[in-house]
Amino acid sequence: MSSWSAALELGELDVDSAFRDAVFSQLRESFDRMNSTTSTATPSQHAFEKRAADVKAPKSDVNALILDYLTMEGYPKAAAKFCREANLQPQQPDTSIQTRQDVQHAIHSGNIARAISALNELDPELLDSDPKLHFSLLRLQLVELIREANGGDPTAAITFATENLGPRAAAHRDFLGDLEETMLLIFYPLDKLKPELAKLLSPDLRRNTAAQVNEAMLLRQNQRREAAIRQLVRMRAWAETSARSQKKDLPESIELGLNGDNAESGESGLEPMITT
Amino acid sequence: MTNPYQQHDAGSNIDPLASGRLPPLSGRRPSYASVVSGSPSSLARPTRSGAFSHLLNPSPDSEQQEGQSSDPRFEPGMSYTHDGGLGGEDLSARDDPDEGIGGGFWPPRLGATFPYFSRAFDLYVGKDPLLASDPTGADDARFPSTTPIPNVSTTGFLSPSYLRGTIYLQKLEEQHRARVLAEREGTSSNGAPPPPSSLGSRLSTNGSSSHLPTVGMKATGTAHRGVAYDIVEKPPFPANEDDTASPLPSKWNKDDKEAALEVLGDGYEVRHTGRASSDHEASAIRADHYMSPACGVYYFEITVLNGRHDKIKTPPIAIGFASKGTSTSRAPGWEPDSWGYHGDDGHSFASQNVGKPYADVFGVGDTVGCLVNFRLNQALFTKNGRELPIAFKDMGFKDLKGKLYPIVGLKKKEDHIMANFGQRPFMFDIDGYMKRQQGMIEEEIRLADTSKLVPGLSETDVIQQLVLQFLQHDGYVETARAFAEELHAEKTALQLDPQEPVKGISIRDDEDAHNRQRIRRAVLEGDIDHAMKYTDAYYPAVLRDNEQVYFRLRCRKFIEMIRKEAEHNIMLEERGGSHTNGRGPTSGDNDDEEMLEAEPGNSNGFNGAATATNGDGDLDMAMAEAGEGGGNGSDPAAGLSKLSQEALLYGVELQAEFAGDSRRETVKQLDDISSLFAYPNPLKVKEVAHLLDGSGRVAVAEELNSAILMSLGKSSRAALENVYAQTCVLLESLRKDGGDGAFVTVGSVVRDIPPSRLR
Repeated sequence: MSSWSAALELGELDVDSAFRDAVFSQLRESFDRMNSTTSTATPSQHAFEKRAADVKAPKSDVNALILDYLTMEGYPKAAAKFCREANLQPQQPDTSIQTRQDVQHAIHSGNIARAISALNELDPELLDSDPKLHFSLLRLQLVELIREANGGDPTAAITFATENLGPRAAAHRDFLGDLEETMLLIFYPLDKLKPELAKLLSPDLRRNTAAQVNEAMLLRQNQRREAAIRQLVRMRAWAETSARSQKKDLPESIELGLNGDNAESGESGLEPMITT
Repeated sequence: MTNPYQQHDAGSNIDPLASGRLPPLSGRRPSYASVVSGSPSSLARPTRSGAFSHLLNPSPDSEQQEGQSSDPRFEPGMSYTHDGGLGGEDLSARDDPDEGIGGGFWPPRLGATFPYFSRAFDLYVGKDPLLASDPTGADDARFPSTTPIPNVSTTGFLSPSYLRGTIYLQKLEEQHRARVLAEREGTSSNGAPPPPSSLGSRLSTNGSSSHLPTVGMKATGTAHRGVAYDIVEKPPFPANEDDTASPLPSKWNKDDKEAALEVLGDGYEVRHTGRASSDHEASAIRADHYMSPACGVYYFEITVLNGRHDKIKTPPIAIGFASKGTSTSRAPGWEPDSWGYHGDDGHSFASQNVGKPYADVFGVGDTVGCLVNFRLNQALFTKNGRELPIAFKDMGFKDLKGKLYPIVGLKKKEDHIMANFGQRPFMFDIDGYMKRQQGMIEEEIRLADTSKLVPGLSETDVIQQLVLQFLQHDGYVETARAFAEELHAEKTALQLDPQEPVKGISIRDDEDAHNRQRIRRAVLEGDIDHAMKYTDAYYPAVLRDNEQVYFRLRCRKFIEMIRKEAEHNIMLEERGGSHTNGRGPTSGDNDDEEMLEAEPGNSNGFNGAATATNGDGDLDMAMAEAGEGGGNGSDPAAGLSKLSQEALLYGVELQAEFAGDSRRETVKQLDDISSLFAYPNPLKVKEVAHLLDGSGRVAVAEELNSAILMSLGKSSRAALENVYAQTCVLLESLRKDGGDGAFVTVGSVVRDIPPSRLR
């Protein structure tokens, strides 16, 4: 207990002596401070890990990254909950996030026609102003038609291609290769495709196209086109690659700290804690 | 000179080497002063400091400081002498740009001497993207055009526009501040009278028991300095030698030149005095510091000032860079480790006295720039804002043993140049050049391969995992669940084979997460009492074992009390007319009674509260002291609202409880919150309002959450935070020698996010 509280409790405050005491104790402390040395190094850690451990990621930054991600990539419910739980103001109105999620969902489910009509409703100029994006969507639609036919009657797919894709490919020569590649799908059994053709049928094409459409919608709203967390993750990957190529002193591998980095990736959503 | 601050400022703003010669800048100061003093926010007055500080620092001296609108002791000479000991840079006073800048105004503790430093202080607040999320990056606002040298702060910190936002410049700022602070502290500890500032700063904004007339003010500064420390103490990386940034060239070095040359005025100008030099010789001068490769790109310009009567329009003037070892009696470029561009023939010289035709000649009235790109190992020149071709490449600049200094060579009498080391806007669009460099690297980053981060996971997968893991880790249960549901829907949509089940993500309904969330909510809502109660109930060991967290919670509680009162007062003001009239900088200072925001009908509450908390003595004293301090016979205590009484009491308790804690952070925090009591309404004073900001709640909440996680044996931070920290360190390793890392920061990524305020 300091002389302060003591004096306060006794109710008899000899101001000057209390003050003096405090001054002296203060001085003593500052001397102690000057002489004290701090050493908290853990020898086993690589210097890199130590330095990283010393860097604080400000929570406000991390929260901003999260909200930005949920907003930009179209997770309206999570974004709303996060605003509530983290006491933040929404970055965008729910409806805007929801609209983008709806379009993305349609593309993810392979319902391209619905996505296109939703897009046209939202912003009639969007697809017109971006022929490349429009072509990507139509090509995905062709892929979906071929998938539906599944080796059966390709008439619908061929009709769609000649009516919608052919003219565009003629106008933009660089689309032609993509169209020809896609048309090859019609002539091979879908389960015996070469890898470069099989990838057209993988969900990644849907995912990537949906992401492109989302970026385009964001750009039309005068926003940045992708979430900052993507830049951060790429910066992290790039920086490690660069540092390694310059032979900087780094540990053999730098773990992100996601539980079960590879082996149990399916579980990593469950209990991601690690003990250190 | 009537305004003491003018001289003071001149001393701080100009080259100490040349300060004997001129104060040409000081003449322009008053305009700046008057501009700033006109600011409406100069209402901030140290009103309640009377009540609080006198309570804690009862000393007869303090009375003398009251109520003097022009303290005779604070005359220019004295002020200057005093600050002279600090290298003309009184850091104590850097926090209050708008207070009392009008000069004659002399509130003893806060304000009066603060004005110019405040700008310097601005440099450091919210500037570091790694630490603070000042998303605006509106750097230019800090250098108002009214400042004589646009890019030099009032404590002499040089901040060239093209380097702003780089870690290199941030480090320089931190070093600059630390140095000036150290000088200041060194001065006070060498002085004969024991410095009361430490105590003063801890306990109040008014360290009043000193022989020095300026001590009150200094102590105040110390309190504010706490804010500054916030940045200094948490540099992105722990200080070690590698992290020391070498200062920027800032002026010509009068000790590193040929005798024929003369450095003029502020150190930017060089003139040839006419002592003859032979046909093969020239007279060169180097700048004071070398160009640090950590800049990534370094740039400076010279303007040829030779008189118009000069018959030779393209005098033999050369610009370039050279190591320290080269002779100053030879023209730049003629010797090993020396490179130059010569105005008389337009040739470039790369370490030999045979040049190559390079570009135009240059001469009287021309501005020529020299750009060294350490990343690309190139150098080029500019003429009158136009970029000239690359002059030297693959030079291995960064591998040279000697450091490279800006250099200029003159040959004839009256040859005269002026350099711009970044203290003013350049003629060449170096900012644009820098942006292009940054753009190149950002493009590389955009194309980076992220597949190796977590083998088997795509970029999108990794990010989803990072987000989900963060949400769970930090106890955002509801969000985690909503996100998991949305992810599940997305995966289902992407699933091609409807027969194959999509693996669900189950968010464990764990009690810990709920408890932590509950505690966090309480903190975020400012309900510290409940937060502490819950913590004690669920995790009894946490507050006991984490003294620092406990302390932060207690401080936050105090801040919330002040905040509540301040909000209350604002409400009252809005409802019941203005209390603040007449509190402008020229209104004198005998308006203490007005500042103790009277709340009618509550004047007896004071003693009641006092009894309740067993603090009679101090409160009586508080009243007595405040009354004396006010010097106007009013009884300020009678006017204290109930809220502020409680806050006062709590503050005293808090100070008492942690009086024995000498850790820097503790001291700083106590300094900070004590200073809050010095303002009638801290919410309206932008220098301290940030202390009340809701973001402080976030910090406390997260610190508490981390402590709880640690106590549960879990990692104190989520993978996303690891990514952030690892990226910071990796970039740091890439920027040491001026590599790519010099051009990008993690902070710039976060700054792209539109600011999302707390609600």
